[in-house]
Amino acid sequence: MTRTTSTADRSTIFHLFLSWILIAATVVSPVFSAAQSVTVTGKVTDEAQQPLAGATVSVKGKPSTGVTTDARGIFSIKAGPGELLLVEFVGFQPQEIKAGTKELNVRLATLPASLNDVVVIGYGTVRRKDLTGAVASIKGSDIKSQGVSDMTRSLQGKLPGVTIESAGGDPGSGTRILIRGVGTLGNAAPLYIVDGVQVANINNISSSDIASLDVLKDASAAAIYGSRAANGVVLVTTRSGRSGIPVIQFNTNVGAQRLARKMPVLNARQWANVSNAAHDAAGLARLDIAKNPDSLGTGTDWQDAIFRTGIMQQYDLSVSGGSENGRYSVSGGYNDQQGIVDVTGYKRYNLRVKSDTKKGAFQFGETILLTREKWIRTPTGWGGQGGGPVGSATKMIPVFSIYDTSAPGGYAGAYGPVVNVANPVAQLHLEDINYELTNILANAYGEITILPGLKYKLNLGYTNTFGSNYDYYHRYQVGTLFSHPTNDISMAKDQTNLVLLENTLSFDRHFGKHSLQALAGYTYQQTKYSYTSASKTDLPDGIDVLDAGAGTASTGGNRTQSDLVSVLGRAIYSYDNRYLLTASFRRDGSSRFGSANRYGNFPSVAVGWNIANEQFYHRGSLVPTLKLRASYGVLGNQEIGDYQYSAAISSNINYVTGVDQHKWFGAIQTAFASPNIKWETTKTSDIGVDAGLLDNHLNLTLDYFIKQTSDVLLNVPIPGSAGSSTNPVVNAGTLRNNGFELGLNYGNHAGALEYNFFGTLSVIRNKVIQLGTGTQQIFGGQPTHHGASTTVTQAGGPVSAFYLVKADGIFNTQDEVNNYSKNGTLVQPNAAPGDIKFFDANGDGQISDADRVYCGSPFPKFEYGFGASGNWRNLDINLFFQGTSGNKIYNGLRQDLESMSLEFNYSTATLNAWTPQRHTSIPRAVINDPNFNDRTSSRFLESGSYFRMKTLQIGYTFPAPRLRSMHLTSVRAYLSADNLFTVTKYSGFNPDIGRSINNPTSTNVSQSSGILNRGVDFGHVAYPIARTFSAGVQISL
Amino acid sequence: MNKIYITTAILAVLLAGCAKKTLELNNPNQITTVTYWKTEADVQSAFAAAYALFRDVDGGFWGVRGVELSNGRGDDFFIRNDVSYLYQLSTFTNVPDNAAATNVWNVCYKAIFRANQILENIDRVTTLSDNARKAYVAEAKFIRGINYFTLAINFGDAPLRLKTPQTTPDYFVAKSPEADVWAQVKKDLTDAAADLPLSYPSQWVGRATKGAAVAYLGKANLYTGNWTDAATALRSLTQSPYSYSLMPNYGDNFVAGHENNAESVFEIQAGDVGGTNPWAGENGNQALGVTTAQEFAPAEVAGWFEVSPTDKLFNEFQKEKTTANDFDPRMYATLAWNYPGSTFYTKPFSSFALVFGFQSMFKKYQNYNQTGEITGASGAADYSSSNNERALRYSDVLLMLAEALTMQGQTADAYPYINQIRHRAQLADLPAGYGKDALMAEIRHQRMIEFAREGLRFYDLKRWGLLPTEIASSDKVGRQFYVPKKFDLFPVPQAEIESNPAMKQNDNWK
Repeated sequence: MTRTTSTADRSTIFHLFLSWILIAATVVSPVFSAAQSVTVTGKVTDEAQQPLAGATVSVKGKPSTGVTTDARGIFSIKAGPGELLLVEFVGFQPQEIKAGTKELNVRLATLPASLNDVVVIGYGTVRRKDLTGAVASIKGSDIKSQGVSDMTRSLQGKLPGVTIESAGGDPGSGTRILIRGVGTLGNAAPLYIVDGVQVANINNISSSDIASLDVLKDASAAAIYGSRAANGVVLVTTRSGRSGIPVIQFNTNVGAQRLARKMPVLNARQWANVSNAAHDAAGLARLDIAKNPDSLGTGTDWQDAIFRTGIMQQYDLSVSGGSENGRYSVSGGYNDQQGIVDVTGYKRYNLRVKSDTKKGAFQFGETILLTREKWIRTPTGWGGQGGGPVGSATKMIPVFSIYDTSAPGGYAGAYGPVVNVANPVAQLHLEDINYELTNILANAYGEITILPGLKYKLNLGYTNTFGSNYDYYHRYQVGTLFSHPTNDISMAKDQTNLVLLENTLSFDRHFGKHSLQALAGYTYQQTKYSYTSASKTDLPDGIDVLDAGAGTASTGGNRTQSDLVSVLGRAIYSYDNRYLLTASFRRDGSSRFGSANRYGNFPSVAVGWNIANEQFYHRGSLVPTLKLRASYGVLGNQEIGDYQYSAAISSNINYVTGVDQHKWFGAIQTAFASPNIKWETTKTSDIGVDAGLLDNHLNLTLDYFIKQTSDVLLNVPIPGSAGSSTNPVVNAGTLRNNGFELGLNYGNHAGALEYNFFGTLSVIRNKVIQLGTGTQQIFGGQPTHHGASTTVTQAGGPVSAFYLVKADGIFNTQDEVNNYSKNGTLVQPNAAPGDIKFFDANGDGQISDADRVYCGSPFPKFEYGFGASGNWRNLDINLFFQGTSGNKIYNGLRQDLESMSLEFNYSTATLNAWTPQRHTSIPRAVINDPNFNDRTSSRFLESGSYFRMKTLQIGYTFPAPRLRSMHLTSVRAYLSADNLFTVTKYSGFNPDIGRSINNPTSTNVSQSSGILNRGVDFGHVAYPIARTFSAGVQISL
Repeated sequence: MNKIYITTAILAVLLAGCAKKTLELNNPNQITTVTYWKTEADVQSAFAAAYALFRDVDGGFWGVRGVELSNGRGDDFFIRNDVSYLYQLSTFTNVPDNAAATNVWNVCYKAIFRANQILENIDRVTTLSDNARKAYVAEAKFIRGINYFTLAINFGDAPLRLKTPQTTPDYFVAKSPEADVWAQVKKDLTDAAADLPLSYPSQWVGRATKGAAVAYLGKANLYTGNWTDAATALRSLTQSPYSYSLMPNYGDNFVAGHENNAESVFEIQAGDVGGTNPWAGENGNQALGVTTAQEFAPAEVAGWFEVSPTDKLFNEFQKEKTTANDFDPRMYATLAWNYPGSTFYTKPFSSFALVFGFQSMFKKYQNYNQTGEITGASGAADYSSSNNERALRYSDVLLMLAEALTMQGQTADAYPYINQIRHRAQLADLPAGYGKDALMAEIRHQRMIEFAREGLRFYDLKRWGLLPTEIASSDKVGRQFYVPKKFDLFPVPQAEIESNPAMKQNDNWK
């Protein structure tokens, strides 16, 4: 084992060594001659004559001569008489000017708004006007602080084609991002790159640190990331300083969060009445605790007992600045969020340093990002059937009380013949779970300009993610059902290291009407993961270290490694700003595959046509800007576990033997290897239009795409009789997503009022073309603790389509039961009046899983977001709305709460249960439910469409003259509301469901929340999303 | 510019050379099948992994779900509606996706896959003596045979897999008729009986012996109505070289203090060793005991009270008093109920609530001498009991032998074996002169009370053809939902049908 590690280490060193050879080889490159040069000085301003700091001035054709303007816009450069100077500044039209003897005055004109942007693409940037791929971008300044700790949550609905869903309401739980639908059945999470370095997620990035977030959606844009890009790429660029006067900014936000909607469940008296009716109907004795309903009163409101107003606070301080030779940006932040469920919470500390330094032909820079996060989590269920505290709070019978001072631990709980639902307050206080995560991201680069336009860059990236899990059980006796005689502790440490090495050569030149941007590179990336765990039982009260435990100890640990070696190349060519061509290629070699299929090639090509720049085009028309784009490319996915290609022997499958009953160590092959698996490949075609209308006040981006994934990597279920413990990963099928996405933006002003309207619309269709053995069905989406699956993935339908037995009304009379027969036998022999009639879809005369039929898709027909922002004098306002339409949600919590079959609390809907006198749509109350009214069926499938007022923010900027005396540049104060209201028919906590992810560092979102579980509200472990009100201040010095 | 080309070219060549090595990684966590199967220790570890499945918490036939499955359908057993799939199988409302049945199916085939691996790889271990090799082959066949036995009695028709799958098409095997499954059971057990040792040194006690293979062979013949073969095999166990005998105290068979005793023919080993979590799955954290006792214990001692004996069983025990006019000692060892001076978990029985309306609770296999069910060394919330599950006791050998003889009309030969059982239970000798039917009635009565909670009742009723009448005459919850033939066997699990194109559902379940 150690041998392989050292081989890997050696290869890292080898790669580093290679890079330095390359640098040495290039350093001795061209020496510039500047004969007879004189010093030319000048000033660069914008159209309003305001000085532009940081503009670049160079002798045309000799970028290495470049200097930047200072805070007053002044530059000084050595140039030969008559040589042309090129003056450039991002967002402005470049200008050429002849060097003379007198001081130059250069006035730069701004570029039209939409073309102004620089879009970050992999390994470089491109001006939006030259862009041929589908890239959705958002500027840091547009990511408004909304009193949410997680920046990605505020992006919901703002990026066309990008679905952002909460991964649970737990503080710090993060989001799930899906780009252009679900293109795989495994891990559908995009590739996240922060300042050039791959990270597991971006939940730990502070929104005030973000300069831009760019989402590469189509193959042409993403192909440069090859085998990891099939699910799209999210590029986060953190803020850089700007040359000029240092800027010091301080932002703070303080807010409060509340549960948006409580589940309507029965109080003690109501519960006893329903329970008694259910027992009477079943011919069973009533429960002792329910015998006297009227004496019970309302009992305990378990939801009130765990939900609270969560206070949250955020503070960010940043300092940035720079000179001609360098720029810097340093920021720090603190974020503290109490969960709306008692005890739970999230804290984060951020520190970030970023700088660039230029000298002559050399440029160096780095990003260092340090974060520390701490979660206080909810327990995940105590062996019983309540699940987490939120699930327990809805199901716990209100007759039981919260506290019992005489019990070990101090809490009361359930007793008698009821289902094992734990006291949620006890759960929260008797098990302490926290997770701390320290994240280091360091990235440094050196760049040298070898020839005009030709640069070599060496980039070294490193991340170290160090997680520490702590789980302490206090000894307790909670009611009669939950007993934990000793204090126990378990601790676990995990560490992920990533080393990245990139060598790139880039070339950027204009030749007359030709412009060429080329890139070639070689990269190496190594990821190492290790895990150690230890636990011990029987600790003294108040002590929480392993050494103190007197009972059983257990330990565990493992490690994995994966390597990726790649060569890449790209050319972006444009002719006369009219015809654009982008071609890219990447070849990846991955250690995750066996030797036969180790390498994959990922080419892409895209073309663009700026019609508006054609001679024949009438510039003054209604559409002054118009560009057509088309692209095609191949992307890959390698997100499977490591070492899947070899047949492994699993160990610690132990048994007991001998008179002394000792442990007998066991080991054997338990699963089949997948020696021949290969890359999952996604072919994407995209056509798009970018247009500016109404004097470019209205900007529009429209794309249509087809994304076909073949050789989908999937653990395909094999027969249990094959004897394997897990399903082997195979290249199992083909999926297709196609859709439209539209982004609109209209900005204008009327007098002092500046306003902006924006919106996005995404329409995505998802279809499984072929799967496994052909008739393969893959089931998923378990909705309750013991419930049957709800979804099927099979050829011809969407991924994880709802596939359910259909509920077909209620039998109102015994005749109706008797008439529902086939060849003389009753279809539902166990039914009585008041029971649900199920549809015998296959006509075999009985109700079984074979009667499941397609009942809808968890994917919306369309998703949208729209908003408005306005400024009037010192006031500003932001509104944002967002929603989905046409998707279904399976309400797992309702399946439990409306069941009346088991002994726990029920929904208030059961007050209206069917009786012979009162025919309703809620079936009769009957314990043990012989007709399975509560079986997994279409009865619990609901519309998931919703429309939400996501954000309302009103701000006031204090007048500048008064601030100056206080040495302040600007001060803005605001009030903000998040999730103000939601219009939906969905009856669960929230239509924006999400199963909690237990390990936030996990890159494999699917393992914890699962593509095949989409649209299934597993209420059992829910954590509802909160409504937030907050106030904030933004101060610049 | 040339320099760049040259540098790039050199770089490309160097990279091509090193990339291959960089990407060639070995899994540091596990060894592979290529390097395994070198030593006898490898073989022994493979056996631990195969035996461990008997006790698998979620599908081992003697793990907690398996015990609930094998007992749950009997007329003597009630399972409450807490874990719905168990309630459903016990009330004959189960459907093909029943998790308990699916898991038993899957775990049997996992064990068969592991036994087949041993059979296929044993020759790669070149250091073994011939005798050792033969004994290991016999032991692997024993494990395979027992698992096919479990499949035959629960599912009837089942795929026969005698080799490990090598390519994808090998995953998909059609089912064979029940008769072929029985033939394989007998073949494996015959082969096993030939080469297994009579006993093991103390550190290996608990593994399959020659006696265990012979007993199961006899049982397989009894279940298939081959009375002569059954009698031959079972009778041999009453003679030298075997030395089985009944424990003088019946209750000693079900407490941790008397494991692997003289009455034990095959026993599933459980110990509160290993990790602390019985539900951890196959890894080092897994507690190696059984959680059945916690599941069955009453709430008052932190159990989950998932099951209860029916009053039919309670009454059956009282049909005959001992020679001292007391309750049958087997009743005291099997059930806890409210008689004068009755204690349970060291407390008066009256401090326990009979929450289901039945009059007794199960005491057999419970750790009732403790003050609570959860006082194990691990201290974990899911207590794991060290009490071994007795898979096949010598008293079963005697009663099966008596049955095989009775069914051949050799009633006189059957008497002494029945009387051994009665003597231990302090019952008077059976009056002479019973005919075949009367003797069978006595055997059926004895089996019902001798083996209550040991997972035999439902399968006995099935082979006697008495399921319809006995279930109908019981106070079992769900008796009205029993459909003859259909609920005698579990359907082929839904997951197997869905993933195996060669698989067809049983006719009674179509």
